[in-house]
Amino acid sequence: MSSAPRALDGVKVLDLTWFGAGPIATRALANMGADVVRVETAKRPDGLRLVGPRPPGNVSLNASGYYNNFNAEKRSITIDLTTERGHELGLDLIRWADVMMTNMTMRAVRQIGMTWDVVQRTNPGIVAMYQPMQGLTGPHTEFVGFGAVLSAVCGVNGLAGFEGAPPIGVGSNYPDYVVNPMHAVIALLAALRHRRRIGEGQLIDMSQLESSVAALSTPVFAEANGAAYPRQGNRSPYAAPHGAYRTAEAADRADRWLVLACLEEAHWQAAARAMNHLEWATDVRFASVAARKANEDALDALVAAWATEQHGPTALGALQAAGVPAGLVQRASEVLADPHLKAREYYAYLDHPEPAVGVRAYDGPPVRLSATPVELRRAAPLLGEHTIEIATTILGLSEDEAATLIAEQVLH
Amino acid sequence: MPPAALSDIRVLDLSRPVGHYAGRLLADLGAEVIKVEPPEGDPARRWAPSLPGVPVIEASVPFVLLNANKRGVTLDLESDGGRSAFLRLLASADVLLESWTPNEAARLRLTDEVLRTARPDLIHASITGWGSTGPYAEWAYADIVANAMSGVMTLAGFVDGPPEQLPDHQGYHAASINAAAGVLAALLHRDATGEGQRVEASMLESLLMAEETAMQQADILGTDRARTGGQGALGFKMPGLGIYDTTDGHVYAMCTGSAGSGFPGLVQLMRALDGSTRLDEEPYASLIATSFNTSQLMGLMEDPARAPTVRAMLGEIEVEVIAFFGRHPKETIYVRGQELRVLVGAVNGPADILASAQLDARDWWRDIDDPARGRLRYPGFPWALAGTPATLRRPAPTLGQHTDEVLAEIGGTR
Repeated sequence: MSSAPRALDGVKVLDLTWFGAGPIATRALANMGADVVRVETAKRPDGLRLVGPRPPGNVSLNASGYYNNFNAEKRSITIDLTTERGHELGLDLIRWADVMMTNMTMRAVRQIGMTWDVVQRTNPGIVAMYQPMQGLTGPHTEFVGFGAVLSAVCGVNGLAGFEGAPPIGVGSNYPDYVVNPMHAVIALLAALRHRRRIGEGQLIDMSQLESSVAALSTPVFAEANGAAYPRQGNRSPYAAPHGAYRTAEAADRADRWLVLACLEEAHWQAAARAMNHLEWATDVRFASVAARKANEDALDALVAAWATEQHGPTALGALQAAGVPAGLVQRASEVLADPHLKAREYYAYLDHPEPAVGVRAYDGPPVRLSATPVELRRAAPLLGEHTIEIATTILGLSEDEAATLIAEQVLH
Repeated sequence: MPPAALSDIRVLDLSRPVGHYAGRLLADLGAEVIKVEPPEGDPARRWAPSLPGVPVIEASVPFVLLNANKRGVTLDLESDGGRSAFLRLLASADVLLESWTPNEAARLRLTDEVLRTARPDLIHASITGWGSTGPYAEWAYADIVANAMSGVMTLAGFVDGPPEQLPDHQGYHAASINAAAGVLAALLHRDATGEGQRVEASMLESLLMAEETAMQQADILGTDRARTGGQGALGFKMPGLGIYDTTDGHVYAMCTGSAGSGFPGLVQLMRALDGSTRLDEEPYASLIATSFNTSQLMGLMEDPARAPTVRAMLGEIEVEVIAFFGRHPKETIYVRGQELRVLVGAVNGPADILASAQLDARDWWRDIDDPARGRLRYPGFPWALAGTPATLRRPAPTLGQHTDEVLAEIGGTR
């Protein structure tokens, strides 16, 4: 960690997000130097504060690893924006902010009185992003969901997995974690740049559906223009072999899979050598990508049979030494201990103010900048950790006034 | 025409396929992006599938999709002429996107110093599989390799099948999205101070956030999440949660919490579409009315006296739910359900998405006349910026299409 200048030093962000797609975006802004003030309420906490993983037996709203990972380096103030006084304080924060972001449904946005007409009237220069499931207009604008529902609607489930298998998805709320938050960051930074150049704020209408489909664009573009792009399982339309192959059972590591992707002819020639099957490199059935795609079942059977005899890390080493794109399907504990990520100091280990949480691993920066580092300088906030601090600075209240509002469950 | 956010920015895009989307995103925001390919063309030009009726080198779906909005030049960086043209071009550029490993950059003699000499305030973005440092920096990579090494693949698949990759090219897309975000942050810093810098995004690091809770679970509890075939980790089958067959495909339902209208909302949908439902009868009705969400049911299941009864009742309720979904088309369940705030979604494929009434109503698709490829329909943009809208201004370049034009602009020839 450093005290180097950061790209968004001085940028003020009002964070009205929750769950995944919004908080990860505002976390990236915080890690780029922005002052991100997160408004939460004990009346209706962020759903991720309620779930795990958390230390065993701990039910605190501050102990969720899921929540904490997405909210590092933000400040948290509790305000019940549905109260009259709370709403006024919310508008004060709108006046303070350069950027406002929410990923709530429009129904929830109306409940807290933060629709675009109100926000724009309050601060005409603000950059405001609304990121509901399906955007601010259209017949489905009120549709609800989480990443798992969105995964079905946007095509993740339909496109993942093997032809004929039930569309179970990818085992996570995938669009929430990279595609939607980081697409959002791009739009927010572009709008900030416009604001600095021209002096204008703007409304960003971000449909999570559109953002997700934009990242599943290859099969959709194919379908739209007369080309076919069926479910691939672990294959690729333009490379073979391309898949996951189970390696020999090891006493210390069951269920280990090696992945291999021969994108170029040279990869295939090198792979055949590294696998000690030079005869595959000259087999007419496998003489080109087209030939290998046409005989892919036979090819995969040979590679799979070879793999079951291999020690995973040794096979990976041989393939990579030969220049073949290959890897192992790592478990999270193996990723945490991965020597490459360690050498690059990817994970941040931050001390959380809740004693039962303590020092925990946080995902590192999504992108690295050499002169203005993207980095995590603090752990996630306790619920309302900065209520008094923000109330007596940004909101200009006295400590007594803040205490009264806390007692009245406005700052709550 | 409103101004574009990046109308004053020129980008040189030398990236491999892992970075194509980064250049496309910057171009969509108004930057002038010049794609620099080797004389034989970008590797993705030969990737399947192909647009029908288009000559091979111009037909690649992945190439044509992610290189729209860019002009294209071919340069041989290993020849003296190509190198000198590239460095002149670089002097005119604000941003460079590339995908060299450290050894490749050294072999090309295009180190940070050389690049900075040509353009002192350059924003230089490296988009690769592994990043420029660490023991894997020279390793070969592919999208599925990053899926595997990042841990995301360990979450996907059936228990008795292989781990599964994410669909399309999420490693490429994620690295490109993060790189574009980094370039924008670097531009803000350059605007303020005149200082350029190096931006680095890798597939491996870009996918790590998509482990969802797996990293934190390993860190906090010391256990690893594994693929469950979509069954989740509850230990019992929760009715109204998961993938269900419909008359024409599948829906995904998540009617198990307090969000939306919960399980009572699903019962309401069953009533709306079928007239009545057995779930309005006892013993189901009172269980559904009082304690039908995941955490409360988990509590009931922990009580040995009640667990067998509850488990049996859940099984009977699930039978009703399965039969209900099986009687209706997915779009009906989805749209009527959402009108009742039921957390349910149709499992859509590309054809369903192309037919989406919502995307249509929002004018999302972008059609463009491509002289080399005919009229093409592109997916729209990930966001709608009211003040600085993204635009699709030109088709993907044919191989070397703009070489002479671009070199003439910088006062030279090939």
